[in-house]
Amino acid sequence: MSMTNSLQNQDKNTLFSDDVKQQIDQWVAKYPDEWKQSAVMAALMIVQESGNGSLTTEQMDRVAAYLDMPPIAVYEVASFYSMYELKPVGKHKICVCTNVSCMINGSDRIVSHLNEKLGIDFGEITDDGRYSLKEVECLGACGGAPMMQIADKYYENLTPELIDSILEGLD
Amino acid sequence: MTDDSLVTIEVDGQPLQARPGSMLIEATDAAGISVPRFCYHKKLSVAANCRMCLVEVEKAPKPLPACATPVNEGMKVFTKSPLALAAQKGTMEFLLINHPLDCPICDQGGECELQDVAVAYGGDVSRYSEGKRVVKDKDIGPLVATELTRCIHCTRCVRFGAEVAGVRELGATGRGEHMQIGTFIERSVDSELSANIIDLCPVGALTSKPFRYQARAWELQEQASIATHDCVGSNTYAHIRRNELMRVVPRDNESLNESWISDRDRFSYLGLNGEDRLTVPMLKKQGRWEEVSWQEALQAVATALQSSAEQSGALVSASSTLEEMFLLQKLLRGLGSSHIDYRLQQIDFRADSVMPVFPWLGVSVEALEKQQSVLLIGSNIRKDQPILGHRLRKAALAGAQVTFINAAHYEHTFDATHIVTHAARMVAELAAVAAAAGARSSGVAAELIAAARPADAHQQIADSLKQQDESLLLLGMQAMHHPDFAVLLELTRALSEATGSKTGFLPLGANGFGGTLAGAVPMHGVAGTSIETPGKNAAELPLADLKTVILMGVEPQYDLPAGESMLQALASVPTLIALSAWRNEHLEAMADILLPVSVAAETAGSYLNAAAECQSAQGLLAPPGEARPGWKVLRVLGNLLDQEGFEYNSAADVLSEWQAAVADLPADNRIKANTLDALNLQSDDEQAVVRLAELPIYSVDALVRRAGPLQQTRDADQKQLRMNTDLARHYDVQAGDLLRITQNNVQAEFSVCIDDTTTDHCVRLSAAIPGTEQIGGMTGWISLQKVDA
Amino acid sequence: MNNIKHYFNSLLLIELLKGLRVTGRYLFARKFTVQYPEEKAPLSPRFRGLHALRRYPNGEERCIACKLCEAVCPALAITIDAEPRDDGSRRTTRYEIDLFKCIFCGFCEESCPVDSIVETRVYEYHFEQRGENIMNKEQLLAMGDKYEKQIAADRQAQAAYR
Repeated sequence: MSMTNSLQNQDKNTLFSDDVKQQIDQWVAKYPDEWKQSAVMAALMIVQESGNGSLTTEQMDRVAAYLDMPPIAVYEVASFYSMYELKPVGKHKICVCTNVSCMINGSDRIVSHLNEKLGIDFGEITDDGRYSLKEVECLGACGGAPMMQIADKYYENLTPELIDSILEGLD
Repeated sequence: MTDDSLVTIEVDGQPLQARPGSMLIEATDAAGISVPRFCYHKKLSVAANCRMCLVEVEKAPKPLPACATPVNEGMKVFTKSPLALAAQKGTMEFLLINHPLDCPICDQGGECELQDVAVAYGGDVSRYSEGKRVVKDKDIGPLVATELTRCIHCTRCVRFGAEVAGVRELGATGRGEHMQIGTFIERSVDSELSANIIDLCPVGALTSKPFRYQARAWELQEQASIATHDCVGSNTYAHIRRNELMRVVPRDNESLNESWISDRDRFSYLGLNGEDRLTVPMLKKQGRWEEVSWQEALQAVATALQSSAEQSGALVSASSTLEEMFLLQKLLRGLGSSHIDYRLQQIDFRADSVMPVFPWLGVSVEALEKQQSVLLIGSNIRKDQPILGHRLRKAALAGAQVTFINAAHYEHTFDATHIVTHAARMVAELAAVAAAAGARSSGVAAELIAAARPADAHQQIADSLKQQDESLLLLGMQAMHHPDFAVLLELTRALSEATGSKTGFLPLGANGFGGTLAGAVPMHGVAGTSIETPGKNAAELPLADLKTVILMGVEPQYDLPAGESMLQALASVPTLIALSAWRNEHLEAMADILLPVSVAAETAGSYLNAAAECQSAQGLLAPPGEARPGWKVLRVLGNLLDQEGFEYNSAADVLSEWQAAVADLPADNRIKANTLDALNLQSDDEQAVVRLAELPIYSVDALVRRAGPLQQTRDADQKQLRMNTDLARHYDVQAGDLLRITQNNVQAEFSVCIDDTTTDHCVRLSAAIPGTEQIGGMTGWISLQKVDA
Repeated sequence: MNNIKHYFNSLLLIELLKGLRVTGRYLFARKFTVQYPEEKAPLSPRFRGLHALRRYPNGEERCIACKLCEAVCPALAITIDAEPRDDGSRRTTRYEIDLFKCIFCGFCEESCPVDSIVETRVYEYHFEQRGENIMNKEQLLAMGDKYEKQIAADRQAQAAYR
């Protein structure tokens, strides 16, 4: 398969930092050699986490080069899954669930409070780059609706007041 | 008649036989039972994502997609049952939800699969009243126009890129309603087969950009034709309206081009009707061009030929028809001259006596994909003969060992071994393979073999050629235009003898094979009949002080590689006659008589293709103005010169005379042994710089050079002097700087492009591109000098 | 029996008198002869006269060069050439109707997806020279501009039946 990517000719060891490369290699090792592109999802996640929370085209090209894939195949994966961010995100990515259970329990109020407080809408990022807001589908915490997720932590039974204190508690 | 290896199924009560493992839709297609489909295509993998081909299968709880359901013994299928029809209607309704109702301005209107299927299987009224999605169009190059709002995501184009073109340029990004077909980042689709996605697209999402809004399918007359830009002779349909060629599409031929044609064959028609078309016979009188009647012009030609007799000669383009080549050589030989050649780009003619009379690819085009080991010498097959490149890719994907010995690195769409070397060292590399195979030769070839120190790579190639039953050595265009073609040929012969491999050629032009057989060569007559005094070859002919020279379809500034010296020599020919479809300043400056002739689809004619088949095409268009088919002009010239046997009524008459002369001569690539004393391209100076003159894909003939959109593609963007960083540093230049190049005492200036795939001491400067008129298009030694700004 | 009846009818000039009765009735009835060209007969909104190409109120021509009228025309009277305009939209570069060929069937109007080609109420025209029978795009658009009010009113009147 031919690829028109200048990174393709680059030495694979120089594509990522040693740490990232090591993590990706762990995933590559899980698959047979001829199917190493199976590690693309993990690789993208590792690269995203290692950077500033989002993927650039160049980073995706590097993943493509590393796994011997056509770049477009990597773009397809990255654009398909909602957890890969293709636009810059804030330091704290606030994911608010607006699915049925949360909506019934007043997620609209939570969303409008966040909109007002941060001055941004879904998909936007505050001017200081601290926060970005993202609308997500059910995260499986309907018992604690309405809820949101920041980094790896779930915050449940939200009220506007609770949100204020949560945001203050963030570094 | 039942075959045990087949399974029997029943479709709509009709018993059918099918190969086990084949899909239902293949069986119904073979039986002529219509099942609607969008994503399924016989040449592509099964995606089963459009769901249009849902049919009812007995004992299956739900309708099943016919394209992805394998046949089973005793299966009962209903394609028109209420369940199947309801499923198809439902699918159609979903597909139409986001499809715009813009058929009146859509170029696909009238030949749209979605339109047809919607009429046959869809509902009559839309129940959808919500907003439709809109997708921003993408610019994917000068050949394919996009209107992605119309896309129904069948992914045929994506699969074509991945599976056939071998370049995954298009993809489906996003998901659900946000799914889009495109390149994701801003870039063009550059494959040499890219425009086939126009035919594949079942809707109007991908359409032909040059043909945009020009005509409707129902206005066009479809006529069978043959593509004339490479030795494949792809089968095409010409679509004609009011005596104008509107577009070219592929005609299925499993043994040649399958369902595809190259972009070059598809869009070359755009060069047909330029302003520079020659439409009336012209005569130079006292240095001024005058329009004259055919009678006057032909009389002048006849008089000139009569008086020059055996001092006449002709150069004929390899894209000419067999009839033209045959008649031209018949005319000249009738005058007692054998000064005729069609191998215009060739520079080494030392192999004339050993070349086969009826050369061909060596295997049929279909069999090319069955080869197990192929060695290509001096060939960029992917761009030179795109359809053969595709066949070779199939061979490589099936596990064949493919090796290239080239003077430049060419990107390929499959895994291959590349031996990339300095142009002057190509002979040495080939000799190393020959040495590894234990080949024997004589003369300089033997010296090269003796001096070679085969590396592992060479040994491996030699072994693979020896071990595999189906092995093939192919000499490409760059080998045939190489200054040491005769040596390469002798080494190839020796290697083929030692390994038992077949040999084959990949020449330039639609009649790259036909020219020899038609006798348009100086060393022998039609079908190899020996002649008393051989004529002058393409390189010597203009310098041979002939009194009259005919140029047939030749653009001297691009088609003759020697450049200025050749142009001057031609200009000093007392009577230079050009049979040309176009006029240009060089022809006007040097010629004395210009005869307008038709080109490509305008003339009836035949072409001998790589598989050694002679294919004939009809003249489909009346040529513009007074222009006439070349064979008619030559026929009348024969009459005016009172030569015998020029009473043809049609091109078919000419062809049958030629066929009778060729009789049962089989295609045979056997090369005779040749003892050569020296190399042409050799230098004692280790720092000497060589120019590699490749013939770019869109510069091969006069018609293609005039096809505007093809000239805007990335493949045509080779107008610079390419060299690697080391050489650039040596001359202290950077990308964009001007360098003066001196070759054969002619100078030209080109801007520099740094390309590290170029070998050391080598610059790549394409032949037949603007700026090379004087310097020519030969591979050879050069000197470089920086131009101070 | 029939023969006898026929014999007496012709002998007594019954049929002649019947004819004279019709003549007599119309002799005294109200006259409806129209004194053309001083007077003109009323026209239906569906009248199919000379063709016109319409524009949208913003001045943009309606025709999108879909060529359906060209395809549907039973007399092959319409010739269209198209190409992308500078703004990328699909437009005609040539739109000609040969009035010698046209049979005024109205199919072109019926097939038009954008109500561009229409047949107006104009039926009084003549040609003085060969070639004038071919209406080109400019003439057709000029017709449309001139009669737009009437054309629009006629389409409006017929809207319920279309």
